[in-house]
Amino acid sequence: MSEAHLTMGAHSAPPMEARPFAMPSKKLAMWLFIMSDVMTFAACTVAYAFLRNATPDWPRPFHSVTNVVVMTVIMLTSSLTLLVALEAAKAVDKAKAFQWMLITAAGGVLFTLLHIRDWMGMINQGVTLFHNPWSPAPFGAAFYSITGFSLMHISVGTIALFVVAIRYKGGRYTADDVELFNLFWQFIGLVWLFIVPLVYLMNLAR
Amino acid sequence: MTTAAASGMKKYVAVYFALLVLMALQFFLGYQGQGGQLVVRFLTFAVIETILVMLFFMNLGSENPGFIKFFVYFMLFVLATMNYVWTDSFRLLLFRLTGYTPS
Repeated sequence: MSEAHLTMGAHSAPPMEARPFAMPSKKLAMWLFIMSDVMTFAACTVAYAFLRNATPDWPRPFHSVTNVVVMTVIMLTSSLTLLVALEAAKAVDKAKAFQWMLITAAGGVLFTLLHIRDWMGMINQGVTLFHNPWSPAPFGAAFYSITGFSLMHISVGTIALFVVAIRYKGGRYTADDVELFNLFWQFIGLVWLFIVPLVYLMNLAR
Repeated sequence: MTTAAASGMKKYVAVYFALLVLMALQFFLGYQGQGGQLVVRFLTFAVIETILVMLFFMNLGSENPGFIKFFVYFMLFVLATMNYVWTDSFRLLLFRLTGYTPS
């Protein structure tokens, strides 16, 4: 019997299995969550593409997308500000990291408010899940399901960011936790970059 | 801020401006373009943006090569299944345009 076996004794922990893909389990869990979310967004996009392509009189209701331009700039900027927070967290500059996380969360709040404003505009035009004023096409169902799913991610993500920021400041979370949240936030920003052309720009009034 | 962190931030800012330019081009195309090629152009831009965000903002490039392969294969599988489904809408469109009703 080797010396190592003798010194470990009866109370030693069982040998650990190697970490899959040599990454921390929390990070792997976040990546797997993102991959499952990719499938959900893909399903929504396929349903939208199917309905849009199969409907000859699909409406094109957007005359201006100024609100969407502003929302996109906010989303991209918040992605950058969270990276500033992450770099500060890695450098153990807690005050700076907390400040930039709050700036990012403010971006999330602003984005959510503009999104709701966009929805209110559509609702005021008479677009509901099963009815729209332009054609019998299921435009409302497709529009609200895709943008609503994105809105849900961003609003819940904003609340989560406040929690992460407060816990990071309080010392319960580390830079690794900020990095995990960064993965999620960048992903929802990425989804928005697909929603803008497919849902808004493809349906610009001609 | 250390030199490595400063260089990281420069990279992030460069990618941020690249994404802004790509989005601006998409908005320009949206107002100018028409026809079936538009969706292909939009998706091309979106894929380029995805690669930039994944590589630089999510640091996928610095992960384990085995994980990168797993992720890429998964994404290709999702894309393949997406294209397996939605193209059937052409059949439905044909039925609607011609008034054909399958017996």
